[in-house]
Amino acid sequence: MRMIEMLPRTILLAASLILSFGGMAAAHHSNAAYDLDNPKTMEGTVKTVNWTNPHITFVVEPDVKTGEAPASWVFEVSSPGVLTRSGWTKRSLQPGDHAVFRYAPLRDGNPGGFLLKVTLPNGQELMYSLTPPADQ
Amino acid sequence: MARASAETPDLSGVWIPDVKDQKRQEIEITPPWKPEVLKQIQHLVAEEKAGRPFLVLSHCMPHGMPSWMLIAHNAIEILVTPGRITMLGEGDGNRLRRIYTDGRAHPEDPDLTFHGHSIAHWEGETLVIDTVGIAPQAYIAISEAAGIPNNGDMHIVERLHLAKPDVLNDDLEITAPKVLTTTWKTTRIFRRYPERHYEITEGECAEEDLSAGKDEFGNDIFIPAPQGPYGSVHVVK
Repeated sequence: MRMIEMLPRTILLAASLILSFGGMAAAHHSNAAYDLDNPKTMEGTVKTVNWTNPHITFVVEPDVKTGEAPASWVFEVSSPGVLTRSGWTKRSLQPGDHAVFRYAPLRDGNPGGFLLKVTLPNGQELMYSLTPPADQ
Repeated sequence: MARASAETPDLSGVWIPDVKDQKRQEIEITPPWKPEVLKQIQHLVAEEKAGRPFLVLSHCMPHGMPSWMLIAHNAIEILVTPGRITMLGEGDGNRLRRIYTDGRAHPEDPDLTFHGHSIAHWEGETLVIDTVGIAPQAYIAISEAAGIPNNGDMHIVERLHLAKPDVLNDDLEITAPKVLTTTWKTTRIFRRYPERHYEITEGECAEEDLSAGKDEFGNDIFIPAPQGPYGSVHVVK
C-alpha cells in the first residue's frame, strides 16, 4: 500500500527533474503566463526578496484564516532597472513587511502572479512604469 | 569619411523603448511574412493566448538583431565616441552593438553573430546604419512569445533621428528573403529620460536562476535555484 502511495510522488519528482533541466534555460520569458485582464488583490507578508535580473521575485505568505494552511506565493515583477528608475530600492519591500498586493494571476492557477502594485500599511503605494513620462 | 560633427545630433544617453507602441504594433501590424511563416506565427500567438508562451528569449541569449530594436523592454545606453557608436543593453551584458562610423566597409566574409556587423554614416541629422552578418538563428520577433528565426541572408538598414530632443525614432527596413516576401518597414520609438537623469543597472539574465549561498569553505558563491517550467520565476526560493 505504501509503495502505491509513493508511486505518484516518484513520477512527480521525475517530472519536476525534467522540468528543471528545461527550466534552467528559461530565465527570461514572456508575460503571457499571466492573466493581465483580471487582476486580483491579496494581503500577505513578504518572506523573501529576490532582487535579481532579468526579473525580481517576491515570495509572499498570504494572510490565512484560522485552520487554513499557510502557503507561499511567488510574485514576479519587472527588472531592477525599471524599478530603480521608478523610485524603488532593494529595501522598499523587506521580509516581514505586511502589505496589500495587486497582481495579475498565473493563468494555470498556481500560487503566483505578476505584481502590479503594492500598498504598504501606512498607505504608501509602490508602483512602477516602464517608460518615462510621455509628455516629451 | 562620415563623422559626427557639431551639426550632428547627440544620440548619447540612456534610452527607454516605448513599450506601449511596441504593443500597439504587435496587435495592429503584420510583417510581410511568407504564407508558411505566417502560419507558424499564428500558432505562436494562439499558444501565447492559451497561456503556453513560446520563449523567444530563452537560454539567456541576446535578443539579437532586429529583435533588440523591436521588442526589448529594457533601457539602451548609447555611447558616441570617435569612429564608433556603441549600444549597450541593460538587460544583460551580452546586448552590445558596435556601429562603426569611421568609413570602413563590411568585411567580405563576416562571422555571423547575434548583432551582425554594423557600419553607419550621417545623412544630415539622420544616422544611417547598415547591418549584415547576422546569425540565421537570430529571431525577427513581434513579441517575447512570437518570432521566427531569420534563417539567413538578412540585411537591415536603420535610420535613427531625433523626432524631439529626447525622442529617438529608429526607422527599420528589414530584408530577410527566407521568411519575408518583401522588406518590412517599421519605426520604433525610444525616449531619453528628462533632464538626462537616469539610472541604468547591471542586468545578468542568469542571475535569476541562482541564489546566494556558501561553498564548503564559507565563500560567497551562487548556487542553482529550484526550477520550474519557466525557470526559477514561479518557484519559491
